[in-house]
Amino acid sequence: MSVLHFRKGNYISLSRGERRPNVPDGLFVKCPSCREALYKEDVAANHYSCYKCGAYFRVSAGNRLRMVVDRKSFRAWDEELAQENPLSYPGYEEKLRELKSRTHLPEAVVTGSALIGGIPAAVGVCDTRFLMGSMGRQVGEKITRAFERATAERKPVILFCASGGARMQEGLASLMQMAKTAAAVKRHSEAGLLYISVLTDPTTGGVTASFAMLGDVILAEPGALIGFAGPRVIEQTIGQKLPEGFQRAEFLQECGFVDAIVRREELKETLVKLLRLHGYGKTDAGQAAPGQAEKPGKPAEDIRKADSAGTAEDIRKADSAWTAEARRGGRLPSYEPEPRDAWERVKLSRMGSRLTSLDYIGELFQEFLELHGDRGSKDDEAVVGGLAFFEGRPVTVIGVQKGKNTKENIRRNFGMPSPEGYRKALRLMKEAEKFGRPVICFVDTPGAYCGLEAEERGQGEAIARNLMEMSALRVPVLSIFIGEGGSGGALALAVANQVWMLENATYSILSPEGFASILWKDSRRAREAAGFMGMTADALKKAGFVEEVIPEFGTAKAETLPDIAKYLRPRLAAFLAQYGSMEPEALAEQRYERFRRM
Amino acid sequence: MFQKLLIANRGEIAVRIIRACREMGIRTVAVYSEADREALHTQLADEAVCIGPALAKESYLDMERILSAAVATHAEAIHPGFGFLSENSRFAQACGRCGITFIGPDARMIQSMGNKAQARKTMVEAGIPVIPGTREPVQDAEEAAARAEAIGYPVMVKAALGGGGKGMRTAWTQEELTEKFQTAQLEAKAAFGGGTMYLEKYVQSPRHVEVQILADRHGHTLYLGTRDCSVQRGHQKVVEEAPCQAISQETARKMGETAVRAARAVGYVNAGTVEFLVDKDEKFYFMEMNTRIQVEHPVTEMVTGLDLIKEQIRIAAGEKLSLSQEDVAVGGHAIECRINAEDPERKFLPCPGTISYLYLPGGCGVRVDSAVYPGYTVPPYYDSMLVKLIVHGKDRQEALAKMHSALGEVVLEGVKTNVDFLYRILEHPVFREGQAGTDFIEKYLQ
Repeated sequence: MSVLHFRKGNYISLSRGERRPNVPDGLFVKCPSCREALYKEDVAANHYSCYKCGAYFRVSAGNRLRMVVDRKSFRAWDEELAQENPLSYPGYEEKLRELKSRTHLPEAVVTGSALIGGIPAAVGVCDTRFLMGSMGRQVGEKITRAFERATAERKPVILFCASGGARMQEGLASLMQMAKTAAAVKRHSEAGLLYISVLTDPTTGGVTASFAMLGDVILAEPGALIGFAGPRVIEQTIGQKLPEGFQRAEFLQECGFVDAIVRREELKETLVKLLRLHGYGKTDAGQAAPGQAEKPGKPAEDIRKADSAGTAEDIRKADSAWTAEARRGGRLPSYEPEPRDAWERVKLSRMGSRLTSLDYIGELFQEFLELHGDRGSKDDEAVVGGLAFFEGRPVTVIGVQKGKNTKENIRRNFGMPSPEGYRKALRLMKEAEKFGRPVICFVDTPGAYCGLEAEERGQGEAIARNLMEMSALRVPVLSIFIGEGGSGGALALAVANQVWMLENATYSILSPEGFASILWKDSRRAREAAGFMGMTADALKKAGFVEEVIPEFGTAKAETLPDIAKYLRPRLAAFLAQYGSMEPEALAEQRYERFRRM
Repeated sequence: MFQKLLIANRGEIAVRIIRACREMGIRTVAVYSEADREALHTQLADEAVCIGPALAKESYLDMERILSAAVATHAEAIHPGFGFLSENSRFAQACGRCGITFIGPDARMIQSMGNKAQARKTMVEAGIPVIPGTREPVQDAEEAAARAEAIGYPVMVKAALGGGGKGMRTAWTQEELTEKFQTAQLEAKAAFGGGTMYLEKYVQSPRHVEVQILADRHGHTLYLGTRDCSVQRGHQKVVEEAPCQAISQETARKMGETAVRAARAVGYVNAGTVEFLVDKDEKFYFMEMNTRIQVEHPVTEMVTGLDLIKEQIRIAAGEKLSLSQEDVAVGGHAIECRINAEDPERKFLPCPGTISYLYLPGGCGVRVDSAVYPGYTVPPYYDSMLVKLIVHGKDRQEALAKMHSALGEVVLEGVKTNVDFLYRILEHPVFREGQAGTDFIEKYLQ
């Protein structure tokens, strides 16, 4: 080390400095994760997240409202409820008084009405500064009243959950709040209204085991701790160290309990989209606040009404307009399926470059919002599902998803759904039924996953339940076979009012290789078997199993997707118009009869 | 006046500020990264505080750590130098909140001049001539093509938050624009985190001439003559001169007055630089205003006899400017060469390393601002500038001769430098005749 010896010091000071610098309180905050000092204003501008490591700060109720609801639209409900001390717990009243004055909050939750993207909603926000957002009688009462009032006013409810659980100081009265709030959620749900629960850090204990986990849609913030028993309690009980990420939002999503993890900067936008996808916003011109609604969705009632689009005439017009356009572009698309033998089609249906469910979803629908999980044990990535708009109408779309390369295929289990995948699909269909939304399924699977875990969790039961429940769904259901239609695994998404097939898609009781092997003891005769089995779209249409064959304009791949979509769009519109105008009972009846005939 | 001042910077500018403070009797606090334990500024200051690891993001750019150091050492003021946090309005604001004087303009001014699109708008409103171009941000290549049609090719694409040549491209045709717009936008997003771009007319072979200004808190604003910084490589200045000899005294006076008007338009306080592009007919256009001390400030100091760093500190302490415009006299000619640790043979790649031997020139009218000493190891994490060699002569001829001689005395071993490249510039007839525009290096030396 080189050290330079400079002569320093001995300054002449004429006057003593009077000002001493100091960091005023509140200028900086410490990141809860990386422990770095942060400039508070930047943290606030950054949605209360650390601009050094990205971790989230817990947000007070007021700041949460500022981030999510439209400016000055919040009106508090039930601000002052009488405080009680059922156990006469010493010091409890003083503690509450002190917290009230420090946080300027009446209790650990704030409830009220607000506009979100111009859409009226009931909103509740828990605040962890108030006894860790714990639920005593007042919290339970406020939440219950909020649900009751929302039910009466036919408003959706959005709750930002953050709580340590039930409030110990109030004893059994606190426990009862779990049942009370859950019952209020039930009534709100029975009225056909939407409840979105947003799980923030931390959502634990009795709150998780009541209203937090009961949303029609459950969103979570990245990294939020979500669980019933706290990690420390679990560790002490089982005497083991818990793995990294246990009980975090991402873990909960993998376990199938969280629909989507949404970053704070996208939260408001996502909520607005969800409200619109559930038919809220501009139900009639007067209801939404003027100038507030961004692109309002079609109201729920419209889904059932036939509108101008969707007649046979419209399809003809759309087709000829498109043919003319293609001709101008020097192309001559033909609707006539190309002659190919069955085995060739089998091979095409399995091609790695073939379009997948997400390709069709991306091309045909707008604003697709994927929802994860079966709310039971897993999020099966072999099945994707969610909400989207089709030409302005909300629809539920579900598809079996294959990968385009090995890595993706491992993630998607080669398009072979597990029981959890079918259960996710059914859950989404039930959600669609509640909100009167048509269901469109894309089928592309070699078959239901055949494996140990699949059997343990009831693959047969999952498929069977889908067949039964789908038969009675009170909304239109359309299934489109886009690739392989492998047996029961495909049927579990195809108990529909109509089944369509892409020109080179297949649908069969088992693979031609299997057929040849079982019946002829020679799997090499697969080609012959394929011809024999009548598993192609044209054969199945002739046999009456399928209503429409969709031309692929060559083969279904990225280049032909726009053509296929142009062909599908007017037909989809016609399907939605025709079936959307039917009574719910008639829809189920038509589906029943469709299979009754077979 | 301040008792103690913290320098939130490193390298030769930190040393330069420490020297000014020593002369003024102000105690100094250096901050340094783990890579700068042995840096000259660390050793020369009265106190030194380590503020983090080598990466600038975790040390010289971390305003919380720097403010903590200032509070812990009871420094009343912070001089940000150039680069790093010098043009960060949030930092200026945070200093104020902590009762620390930020030596520079206030946060509002930094912000308004830092956003180029906004700065341009302000200047247009103040009647300052600007280069024809779009007044609105351009979002995509298609829009850019439409706007370029109206302005006329060639055009320049610039990042709204840009600087240092990043996110900047010239296009002569629409095809070229479409292609370059996208790369420039990507670059801007990566470098500055914002992809807002704007377009302007590309002035062919212009000169980059800037005016140094000083403004105190009492409403006095002065201009200190011009600097010609046309010799640039990839928008990085290499050689600077004062005053600019390519324009008439009349034009220089007009530019000075315009710069003062620009500064007044935003209520500017402290030292600043108004940059102009000057075309062949001596027409000048406002480019941008730099709200900090600049690398090339010594050439102005040499021809005016003023100490700009001391002026900055005095202004920040609330003192009045000690002179009026009439007192400002520009005498002789000064030239600065930036000696960098870089390899001209390999696309000027920075060449960190240990300086095994060092001899720097001196003599009448020769000034060296540097932060190197024999045995010093140039760390790879920061700017590669090692030495600023500045000469002052009675006219440009004498200054050129002095620079030529002084450069010849520079012996700097252990790292590669651009000294030979500087020689090539000095010896080039176009430069010697004072004909170099901003395209000089691109046109003649590459």
